[in-house]
Amino acid sequence: MDAISGLLGGFAALANPETLLYMIGGFLIGTFFGAVPGLTSVLAIALLLPLTYSLDVTTALVACASIFMAGMCSGSITATTINIPGAPSSMMTALEGYPMQQRGEGAKALGHAALGSMIGGSLGALLLMVMAPLAADVALLIRTPGKFSLIAFALIVIIISQRGSITKGMIATLFGVMIATIGIDVVQPLARFTFGTGVLVQGIDMMPLIIGTFAISELLVQADSRSTRTVDPSMIKAAKVRRRDFIPPLSEVREIGALRYLKSAVIGYAVGILPGAGGSMAAFVSYAESMRSSKHPERYGKGNPEGIAAAECANNSMCGGAFVPMLTFGIPGDPTTAIVLGVLVINGLQPGPQFMTQQLDLIAPMFASLFVSALILIPLTLYLLGPYFLKIVSIRRDVLYSSIAIVALVGSYVATYSTFQMALALVFGVLAYYLRKQKYPTVCLLLGFVLGPSLEEYCRRALSINDGNPLIFFTSPDSLFFIALTAVFFYFMVIRKPKDRGLGTPPA
Amino acid sequence: MSLKPSSPHSSRRAGLSGEFFVPAVLALITLVYLISAIQLGPPMKAGNMTASFFPIATAIIMLIALSCAMIHALRGRARASAESSSIDAESHDEIPSGRQYAGLSLGAIGVVVLTAGYLLAFDLIGYFVATFVYVLLLCCLFGGGFRDKWLTKLIAAAAITLAGYLLFEVVFQVRLPTLWSQ
Repeated sequence: MDAISGLLGGFAALANPETLLYMIGGFLIGTFFGAVPGLTSVLAIALLLPLTYSLDVTTALVACASIFMAGMCSGSITATTINIPGAPSSMMTALEGYPMQQRGEGAKALGHAALGSMIGGSLGALLLMVMAPLAADVALLIRTPGKFSLIAFALIVIIISQRGSITKGMIATLFGVMIATIGIDVVQPLARFTFGTGVLVQGIDMMPLIIGTFAISELLVQADSRSTRTVDPSMIKAAKVRRRDFIPPLSEVREIGALRYLKSAVIGYAVGILPGAGGSMAAFVSYAESMRSSKHPERYGKGNPEGIAAAECANNSMCGGAFVPMLTFGIPGDPTTAIVLGVLVINGLQPGPQFMTQQLDLIAPMFASLFVSALILIPLTLYLLGPYFLKIVSIRRDVLYSSIAIVALVGSYVATYSTFQMALALVFGVLAYYLRKQKYPTVCLLLGFVLGPSLEEYCRRALSINDGNPLIFFTSPDSLFFIALTAVFFYFMVIRKPKDRGLGTPPA
Repeated sequence: MSLKPSSPHSSRRAGLSGEFFVPAVLALITLVYLISAIQLGPPMKAGNMTASFFPIATAIIMLIALSCAMIHALRGRARASAESSSIDAESHDEIPSGRQYAGLSLGAIGVVVLTAGYLLAFDLIGYFVATFVYVLLLCCLFGGGFRDKWLTKLIAAAAITLAGYLLFEVVFQVRLPTLWSQ
């Protein structure tokens, strides 16, 4: 009962004009970053992170949630109309949307994408509200050896989900773990890897790592391009979007069926819970399942609304699932939730099994923001701003990237009022640029950095309570469960790779 | 991202040095890290893990993974050079890849140099002057030089500087360094 009233209180908190303003502002920013090719909602949230020092934690979380949701749906417009997915999660939408656009049915495609996003996002948020308290109860049963195995499971799944580049995923993750060990030891009061400098004693802050990895490296990547606009204006002239385009025909919605929407939402939510999967994987798995169970699988890839509905429903539903491991176990599975974890840590909060009950008043508005963003803001924004999206996404690159550079660098300065943090952001930016160029997943670097300290702490605590005997990881039931789960995932994702029926490699 | 798409063969050759170079540099960093970890003390004491155990274990696994990556890169280079020798014999019409220095394109080097300069100037001459100049130069870098639409770039630089000031100093009350506060 307390939980229900707490969750309802979250919706009431959105009535606060300041909170509401940040939710709408966050949604618009997320929409812009999701729609412009090359920018992502992760970058938007990374740029927001420094500002959370001055923001109330609830307001910051509300803004993060609306950016996350908006970033997932807005990429579908450019994916459909000009075949350039604004966000990686819209790649499957481009597969079906662009052929529809070419045969003059782009309007229908946009409508199905909007409806799928709305349904998926709302169901994902509802599932989060229902499942997160249950997951928190389960999390209470996990003891120290189990926590180690759970984090190890998360890291291993993150690595093996980098299909085709597991070695690179492993290197990036371990490098993140190494960076996290700089500073005071997690168990003893001993400074490590400071190399005689005082500035490293406190360790590396998450902020310069995030800003460097996602913002500065993006500047360096974009500096390679010589075009003056983000999208070629000639492409935009060819594709016109009208307001009524966002309302899909009812007959086609019936043909897709409520079951397909529901199934896609559940798939997206489940994929979101998995570490390292993300929106593109959710869209891929849901699309593949939709194709498998379709009466007309031959229509896929040629402009089928079913595929659009399945992909968009799943990638928005993923937003809800991604918050479950972060809030209940303190384990973020993707960069967005890792940054949200950073917001909580900056405000002195540490997610875990008790977090859902003790701090529900702080996080319930975030759940409400996810739900309201999906149910109201997605259709409203697409309906009102949709026709102008193509003009908005074709903006001058000099203005865009200069603005990003200033927000990123001055934002890094905010944490400690020192240019050392800005310099660190630049160093990590250059490092991430090299890694990205060689296709090392920088997401793994961030997640290794975030999860590394907990992995070490639980490993050492577990061994110390068993006199250094590692057998405790195999005799403790909770730990054994996660080791077995790791083996199962390893078997299905590495040894027996899933068949993709001609869809290509799932996006990492 | 270059303007002209390069052929698969040229891109493979261009990326190959980086494919070996990146893990090699990471291996050097890891070696320094491993030596520092060993200097922290023995990994086990009285049956318990010490502060050096986890870093040593991480570094060893990392070195193994990096060795695999370097071997993979070397094998790839051998394959690529064998293929390219046969292709070169047939045609010479490949598109040259963009100029790179230490794996960085000229544009990326420009951003790094400008940003490093901005960091130095930020504390010395304050937010306003440093940011205006930095944004103006970045606009030139991303917008195809200063001559093209220079007035727009000047206005954009002034507007972004002012917007940044309003966002951080006024809205979020972050005290930014100014020329007159030095």
